[in-house]
Amino acid sequence: MPATDLISPAPAPSAGTQTGEVVVSVRGLTKVFKDFWNRPKARAVDRVDFEVRRGEVFGLLGPNGSGKSTTVKLLLGLLNPTKGHIEVFGHSPRHVQTKSRIGYLPEESYLYRYLNSRETLDFFGNIFQLSKSERNSRSEQLLEMVGLGRTQTRAVGEFSKGMQRRIGLAQALINDPDLVILDEPTAGLDPIGCREVKDLIVALARRGKTVILSSHLLSDVEDVCDRVVIYYGGKIQAMGTLKELLAKPDTLRITTPVLPRETLEKVLEIIRRDVTTGEVRVDNPSQNLESYFLDVVQKARAAQETSGAQSGAQVAAYLRGGVAEPPASEKLLEKLSLPQAAARPAPVAAPAPAIDESKLSALTQPVPAPVAPDPAKTAEIKPVDLAKADEKLSSLLGGKK
Amino acid sequence: MQRILAICWLTWKAALRFRLFLVIAALLIVAVVGLPLVIKDDGTAQGFTQIILTYTLSSITALLGFSTIWLSCGTLARDIEECQIQVLATKPIARWQIWLGKWLGIALLNAALLAISGACVYGLLMWRASQLPPKVQQVLRDEILVARGSATPPTEASDIETMTDDSLKKNLQNHPVENPKDVVEMRRQIREQVKASLQVVPPEYWKSWNVDLSSVKGSLKDKPLRLRIKFNTPMVGATTTFKVGWTIGQTETPGWQSDLMDLSADTYHEFPIPANLLDSKGFLTINAYNPNNLPLLFPLEDGMEVLYPEGGFGMNFARALGIIFCWLALMSAMGLMAASFLTFPVAAFFSMALMVVVLSSGTLAESVSNGTVAGGNEETGVMGHASADIILLPIFKGLLVVTSLVKNFSPVDALSSGRTITWGQLGLAFGQIVLLVGGFFAVIGMILFHRRELATAQGNQ
Repeated sequence: MPATDLISPAPAPSAGTQTGEVVVSVRGLTKVFKDFWNRPKARAVDRVDFEVRRGEVFGLLGPNGSGKSTTVKLLLGLLNPTKGHIEVFGHSPRHVQTKSRIGYLPEESYLYRYLNSRETLDFFGNIFQLSKSERNSRSEQLLEMVGLGRTQTRAVGEFSKGMQRRIGLAQALINDPDLVILDEPTAGLDPIGCREVKDLIVALARRGKTVILSSHLLSDVEDVCDRVVIYYGGKIQAMGTLKELLAKPDTLRITTPVLPRETLEKVLEIIRRDVTTGEVRVDNPSQNLESYFLDVVQKARAAQETSGAQSGAQVAAYLRGGVAEPPASEKLLEKLSLPQAAARPAPVAAPAPAIDESKLSALTQPVPAPVAPDPAKTAEIKPVDLAKADEKLSSLLGGKK
Repeated sequence: MQRILAICWLTWKAALRFRLFLVIAALLIVAVVGLPLVIKDDGTAQGFTQIILTYTLSSITALLGFSTIWLSCGTLARDIEECQIQVLATKPIARWQIWLGKWLGIALLNAALLAISGACVYGLLMWRASQLPPKVQQVLRDEILVARGSATPPTEASDIETMTDDSLKKNLQNHPVENPKDVVEMRRQIREQVKASLQVVPPEYWKSWNVDLSSVKGSLKDKPLRLRIKFNTPMVGATTTFKVGWTIGQTETPGWQSDLMDLSADTYHEFPIPANLLDSKGFLTINAYNPNNLPLLFPLEDGMEVLYPEGGFGMNFARALGIIFCWLALMSAMGLMAASFLTFPVAAFFSMALMVVVLSSGTLAESVSNGTVAGGNEETGVMGHASADIILLPIFKGLLVVTSLVKNFSPVDALSSGRTITWGQLGLAFGQIVLLVGGFFAVIGMILFHRRELATAQGNQ
């Protein structure tokens, strides 16, 4: 079962997805790149139609060169459509005031290399005509959030790719946008950074923000998107919610705690009355690699904090991506992610080919997961952290809910 | 405005972080301090001061001009090529505001650099002047380190045309000419004769000029004036001097009379004349006597000029820098306009080419006055190529009109000859150079930038 299916849908998106305000409307969109002599060179986007509603996390999925980034640039008014019609918040993508409601993270770090991270945010804050105090406050919080609080005076040009993505993400959020367009947001990020970004996307959607995510990384899209379009050759090949696209209505999965062998045999016996043996599969669910990695890192970090041997680790962490000391931002993101984690059972690996008796015997023995988080404990803190996370993100992004 | 100022601030940051500002400032200071050490002068304090002013201000203009074109092309074109514009253009800022912010940033950068280098030139001049003997200092203050108004005799342009037409008419009646081209040539020769007759002072003759100073009569009381003259002789490349006598007022009852002066031809000469010699209407009558056996020819345009004190050197110098600033502002508009639709190297090349057109306006003017863009065939007498002339001459005329709006100011010449650059001239320069011509480039640039697709570049950071 895909992880996305298991995310507790936030109230705003679930309501908004079906009936909410149309944020982006694309009809018959076509983009043909031409050469100097105006001869058609490449048809990057071909008769594309879709709508994105308020509160949705909408994924543009497709291989390289399929037209995702071109679509994003058309939505932002950076390219002019050859044919078709685009509306963003009911206006043309070139409408200047509409842009005050949009945040954009491009696929590369297209920031001014000679500015440091604080100057970068201050500059873009100025473009949004924020007051000085507001700019300072938001810059401070955003830098903390993306883990660059301690590298504020370094020029962006000196940043690693991951750090550049982080400052890019911060600039995209300086105006507390209603529509966030993220082009390959996890490109160049380490797994922790990827997770943070994905958690942030979910948190934004929970606050009623609309997110358009363009990526060729299936896991990114699968983890966070409500609805996706799949591009190939500039055309939409498939569109719908992940549930619609991925569900197998003719199969069923039952997840339980480890059962005694007798019970399991009884259950199987009952099932075999209606289903042939080859179609029944029993296996231990397992986490995906990302979840496992994050758990390991989290535990290692906790151990280091208690041992007090921090100085060496700070340098190593800094070189890995600017998180010298687990900053408040990370805690924030962890908090933001905890409700998700609590509500989201670990994804299940592909089922084993068939039942075998020896395996069945092994399966009926309880096997403690080596580093898995305590679900009970996680579930316990869920309501408190959800409230805290919302409150924190709300203050961070302008106090709106 | 906050958005425009943010872009302006960004341009400053780029110039400072890439050390462009420091490098140009250092180069300017080296040019200002170093040039006086290597240039040769005529040995007089006036000559030295004039040369310092001319060379340093010209080199400042050239250096800042090139850096302005480079910077203005780079600041926009590189933003597009390196894709930073893709982030900026998705923010709530109109493209014209981006364009204007960049122009303002470069203009302020130029203003700062011009102020620094101008202050160095001014300080250097004042320091050098203070090292001279008091008498020489006084001469400098009278001739160069001063702002002087200027008055010239009427050019008699309309008289020349009338007399030319009359003479041509008579000639054609006596000797009819059928070919229109021959008529044109005949008129040109007659016009030169008429013009010469108004400029020439034959041997043993006097010639009078009336200079209207009525508008400044009141302010000239008790103030000595200076006469600046130049004459030519039929003897080309003459190295000898010619005697000229001068009187002011009616020749019969002159208010002042000079001894015969030994003056060389083809050179400007300047000498003082006493105060209070204007007649009751504020006119100054100048008479020149030619005792030589060759005619002397005082050009109508710049053969005779009366200079009178009007203000201090400091403000005059500042106004001269103001006109240079207007040129730089125009160059930045030109560079930004080119970068609005071209890549960086092509935009820089394009801007330089435009500069060459402006600087070669003399050639354009010659083509227009000859009525052809190509030289004629001496043997057949056929002038130019009709088809090329039909297309190019109107273009040249248009270009000349535009370039004259820009080039009709000569702050460096005015400063080195101690002439006043008035606030009116500065205002006119601002209006013509910055608002009119610069505004034209700005509008074109903003339109092109607005229409341009900004995401066609893939980034090459």
